[in-house]
Amino acid sequence: MASSLLRTLIPFDIYGGMKLTGKYFGKVLRQANRGVKRTHVVVEYPEVPTTLMPRFRGRLQMIKDEQGEIKCVCCMACEKICPTQVITIEKGKKEGRKTPYPTRYDFEMERCIFCEFCVESCGFDSIILNHQFELASYNREDFSHALEGEFQNMFGITPVSHYSVASED
Amino acid sequence: MFKTEEMEINLGPQHPSTHGVLRVKLHLDGETIVRCTPMIGYLHRGVEKICENKTFFQGQVWTDRTDYVASVSNNLGWAEGVEKLFGITVPRRAHYIRTMLTELNRITSHLLWLGTHALDIGAMTVFLYAFREREEILSMFEAFCGARLTTTAFRIGGLREDIPPGFEKQVRAFQARFLDCLDEYEILLTENRIWKKRTVGVALLNAEDAIALGVTGPVLRAAGSTYDIRKAFPYAAYAEMDFQVATKNEGDTYARYLVRLEEMRQAHRIINQCLDGLPEGPVMAKLPKVLKSEVNEIYHAIEAPKGELGYYFIGEKGGVNPYRMHIRAPSFINLQALSKMVEGRLLADVIAAIGTLDVVLGEVDR
Amino acid sequence: MTPMTPTLTQYLVISLLQIIVVMGFVMTLVPLLTFAERKVIAYVQVRLGATRVAGGLWGAQRGRTHKSRTFTGGLNGLMWYLGRVPVFSILRGLPMFIADALKLLTKEDIVPVEADKAVFVLSPALAMVAAFTVFAAISFAPGALFHFPANFPLLGGLPFNGFLTDLNVGLLFILGVASVGVYGIVLGAWASNSKYPLLGGLRSAAQIVSYEVPLTLSLLVPVVLTGSLNFNEMSTRMATDVPVNAVVGIFRTLLMFVGFFVYTTCGFAETNRTPFDLAEAENELVAGFHTEYSGMKFSFYFLAEYASMITVSALAAAFFLGGHYLLPFGLQGFLHIGGWWGGPHIIFFLLKIFFLLFVFLWVRATVPRYRYDQLMNVGWKFLIPYTLVMFVIAALLRYAA
Repeated sequence: MASSLLRTLIPFDIYGGMKLTGKYFGKVLRQANRGVKRTHVVVEYPEVPTTLMPRFRGRLQMIKDEQGEIKCVCCMACEKICPTQVITIEKGKKEGRKTPYPTRYDFEMERCIFCEFCVESCGFDSIILNHQFELASYNREDFSHALEGEFQNMFGITPVSHYSVASED
Repeated sequence: MFKTEEMEINLGPQHPSTHGVLRVKLHLDGETIVRCTPMIGYLHRGVEKICENKTFFQGQVWTDRTDYVASVSNNLGWAEGVEKLFGITVPRRAHYIRTMLTELNRITSHLLWLGTHALDIGAMTVFLYAFREREEILSMFEAFCGARLTTTAFRIGGLREDIPPGFEKQVRAFQARFLDCLDEYEILLTENRIWKKRTVGVALLNAEDAIALGVTGPVLRAAGSTYDIRKAFPYAAYAEMDFQVATKNEGDTYARYLVRLEEMRQAHRIINQCLDGLPEGPVMAKLPKVLKSEVNEIYHAIEAPKGELGYYFIGEKGGVNPYRMHIRAPSFINLQALSKMVEGRLLADVIAAIGTLDVVLGEVDR
Repeated sequence: MTPMTPTLTQYLVISLLQIIVVMGFVMTLVPLLTFAERKVIAYVQVRLGATRVAGGLWGAQRGRTHKSRTFTGGLNGLMWYLGRVPVFSILRGLPMFIADALKLLTKEDIVPVEADKAVFVLSPALAMVAAFTVFAAISFAPGALFHFPANFPLLGGLPFNGFLTDLNVGLLFILGVASVGVYGIVLGAWASNSKYPLLGGLRSAAQIVSYEVPLTLSLLVPVVLTGSLNFNEMSTRMATDVPVNAVVGIFRTLLMFVGFFVYTTCGFAETNRTPFDLAEAENELVAGFHTEYSGMKFSFYFLAEYASMITVSALAAAFFLGGHYLLPFGLQGFLHIGGWWGGPHIIFFLLKIFFLLFVFLWVRATVPRYRYDQLMNVGWKFLIPYTLVMFVIAALLRYAA
């Protein structure tokens, strides 16, 4: 009875919470942005680059082999498996190449959901999802990627994110 | 002399604490709720219909986007449902990894619930502490499958890849400190007199009503039931795991809070067991090139963080797509209990009730 | 030197200067307080808070790269390096408060079509005027801050006081004017002609009217103990009165200790701060009474809330924490401290105010919010009996002394 009355009158419960938050306040105040040991969890993003895991699923990118040839042989597996139908391939032929050659490989990034099904289905390792995540842009056209064109590069790293803060010069 | 009338007020769809685009139409007498009508559909995308036009393999990406805070659980439900439809046996190692990731996902979902629920009731700091731990788990998902939120973690027949190198160390480092973090939340909330006043006896739902309304998950277990699909109909590797089902008898918001905290502790236990007993072997079953269904229908339910998540598939002869697919979304069914919980109570209790039901509008509207 | 009686002109000029100083103090403290709120809550939540200002203060600047780091403007680059300095890293993002003020000043001022326009415009001003007028009776320093030099034109030899007026009913004035502020909130909420503000305004009215009672009762303890209503006299005597014997002294200190917590609790409710911020209750009523306000009118409410936080802190510091003297809870009367530390200084008072303001933010970061009916219960069933008991004990102590 007496102890419960005392507990009602004196807010020990709130005191415990205040102690915890006060502890964190003191810690962060002392260690705010001093490098090695830190309590806070902030990543100061544009200044400090973000680290990504090796399996991170970024933008779709085509890769070339050692001779600079496109590895894609137009098996259409990625086009078929894509849940949102963002890949369009046209089969063609090229001089001096036995396997089919894509005359057109369009990638509509606006609808892409970065599921990596296309990479998984590819039997020739000709496409990857790279580690690029700053994909915002001011122009709608920048989201359409193709084999050719100024900003429509399926091979390069940053056709779009030259608008992002971190890549500004 | 004065005319009195009920005030009709729209809580949402744009409101700080309706967790998305839920609109609750309230009839108020002063601050007392006379009638409460949840109005849904603002996030309807027709996932079930879309999935009828996608192959079994492709459909999984839409399950990421139903309950987007527990996408791994949804992936598990889809993958196991399809495996049941085709009679595929998944390797044991894949089962263990699936169980581990699903339990990690249960922790993230409960942490998000804890943070937002506490924020709704006014305790701002728990939110950030909870997100600190959630962030770590999300980076584990990123390490495992390359995405943090829309994971698409599993494949029909197993996993796409084994766990990456360093993953076990990452999980163990997290496991080592997670229980202390849980204690921190408890210091801030469990004994706090204001938290208790706001949650004890608020949004009551007894077991009878809960079962009548089809409510499942922590909301049902906080009302005294011990129904947990992980125990009742074990799936994945749960049959081999040693854990308890957290229950409370009060059926109020505080009991649900305690049940969910205890579930996080049990999830912590299960993850440890998965890590210790991880069997060797392949992670993917042998599959035919194209999955073609027979005339067949199955229902597969798993215990998602929010309750019973069921996938209902109907196959047709030679079909590569489900003929019909239905998701029994726990949030959608739990939301029915909202009116029952808050009618006759105060406006502030609606916020607590929405928080304690842990609805995700992506799943409610699908 | 015999004290001079100032002429009317001199009196008016000095008063004007004092008003400018006090208002300047409050008007700089309030924006700094918003900045402090960002930082304190961020640090409690293991974040860093505002560390940069978007695009720099002088229009959008392009980022520049230095040693493989990219900054979003020159000012932010500076602040990045400030982050390396141990204690001053808290000043990162300080320009944010200027940006905040500029934003509030230049934002579009929307008046709802259905609103009662005259009341809608007037009520923020009412709230702010009430919150600021209170400072007329608060004494920041007990005596003169300094005297003007004898050869100073017009004002030579006159004292520049640390207070605006030395009202003999100062406390009544403070309580009376502060309670006008609630009209600003209620009228503004009503004039918005919208549902969420209406609920917020009603909550606020009921809350402030209820909490006026325990607030005033808890302030009656110093009134009874000192037998005065004059701010200066009360704060000085509460701090330095020498008790007749040890028992009375111990009871007096205990009473002030408890009274401090009760008063601060009521003060939290009176200023609409967490855990009693029901009038705003962001998660329930969107923004409460100021849902429909924007731009300058909103910032008036904002200023009023923070100014009344300063008032409550100042009263608590003056009456319970020893005011201008070093030791709190009347301990100054027991323990005789000599030298500079023993005297009244404005710096002690200001430090106490700043500490209490920090406590306001600290509590906000820690505790949840009460429900409306629970708030009323706490007020009527808990705080009022509590303060009445305190009042009786204070009367007994007065009788014993």
